Amino acid sequence: MPVSKVQDEGDLTRKQRREQARAERKAAEEAAAAGDARRRRLTQLGGALVVVVVAIVVILIATGGGGSKPSTGGVGNGKHEKSKTVKEAVATVEREIGGVAQNGNVLGSPAAPVTIAYFGDLECPICQEFTVGAEGSEGALPQLIQKWVRAGKVKIEYRSLSTATGNAERGGSEPEGTFNRQQSAALAAGKQNKGWYYIELFYHLQGKEDSGYVTEKYIQELAEATPGLNLSTWQAERNNQAWQAQLSTDAQEANNNGFTGTPSFLIGKTGGAMKKYEYSSLTDPSGFNEAIEKALKA
Amino acid sequence: MSARTLRMTLTVMSVLGVGLATYLTYIHYAGIKPACGVNGGSCEIVQTSKYSHLVGVPVALIGLIGYVLILGSLLAPEEERWRLVTAVLILGGFGFSVYLTYREVFTLEKICEYCVSSAILLTLMLPLSLWRFLRGDGAMPATSAAAGEERAAPLGSTS
Repeated sequence: MPVSKVQDEGDLTRKQRREQARAERKAAEEAAAAGDARRRRLTQLGGALVVVVVAIVVILIATGGGGSKPSTGGVGNGKHEKSKTVKEAVATVEREIGGVAQNGNVLGSPAAPVTIAYFGDLECPICQEFTVGAEGSEGALPQLIQKWVRAGKVKIEYRSLSTATGNAERGGSEPEGTFNRQQSAALAAGKQNKGWYYIELFYHLQGKEDSGYVTEKYIQELAEATPGLNLSTWQAERNNQAWQAQLSTDAQEANNNGFTGTPSFLIGKTGGAMKKYEYSSLTDPSGFNEAIEKALKA
Repeated sequence: MSARTLRMTLTVMSVLGVGLATYLTYIHYAGIKPACGVNGGSCEIVQTSKYSHLVGVPVALIGLIGYVLILGSLLAPEEERWRLVTAVLILGGFGFSVYLTYREVFTLEKICEYCVSSAILLTLMLPLSLWRFLRGDGAMPATSAAAGEERAAPLGSTS
């Protein structure tokens, strides 16, 4: 009885050892298989990562590379670039609005049956898209001027709404009063019926938003570049308190219409009720055209 | 985290992404200004900037397509190849999101809440999808023949 028991135990131990060895082999095989699978998965992900990184670099290069916003010139740039850029901008502005009636902040015939109120901030890049264009597309404004303003059917009032200018009082980095100084400089030019030249030039030469480029020197240089502007008269007019009142009126009207961004628009029959116009594109003028046609028929 | 919970979490996140991208695509084509909680026109500036299109296609639409594909891959059978597809799509989405955030912060210097929300979603989804793919279906009950071949026994079973 004891001998048989010892044999059984010996058999059991050998059996257990075999099972244990089998289990260890199986575990080792599974571990190896799992390691292979993990390596394969890591290789697949590595390949995907390389493709993604390459794609991002290609997109980055294709959309303009570097970190800072592409400069659109700026009067404060180097001498050679400055003269070239300003000269080109003046030529473009002359081509776009030369010969069109101007009166204060209004572009177009006073008798035009339809009025567009254009609320803008001279540092606003989206207003630049509307006024100048973007990505090789002409802005909607020059097309509207060509089609409607030159034909005497529409006049455009430029109204001021502070959005992009980074005045210190709004938490931006630009000196306090920058918005008022730049906008009233345009209104002062309007006193000589050159306001739209100043506005258009500002947008054409617009620099990096809230970068502090709109210094007193910059404002002066834009005035110097404004065709036909009498500088001493303009300088004297800049201190006219009427501009501050105008800016307050514009801000109030924007507020009354719930405008928080620029550009914002009101379109309507001249002298009648103006309606808010929500744009769908700032380079394709078709939406504006429809709204104008509707106002003409009203 | 069980495989089921992981998959469900990713699915819910991708549904949120689809909702976000659908809204941005809708307002793009409807010409409506985005409803921005803070920062006034920052959102609008980003949404209408030149970087809001890639080779003429609105990035909002690219995002929508991306999220729909991610969602589709999550609803596909629980197989390794689909987990790889999910991880690769999310990796691509994350990379694209990094590019867009870079444009917002360093080029436009404006932040769009919707873009940031999408970036956060993808940033959360990325490690989850990578983990899900790399660990295989180890924490997953063997519900298919393929899973049964790859893995030993269902959770909780004894041998």
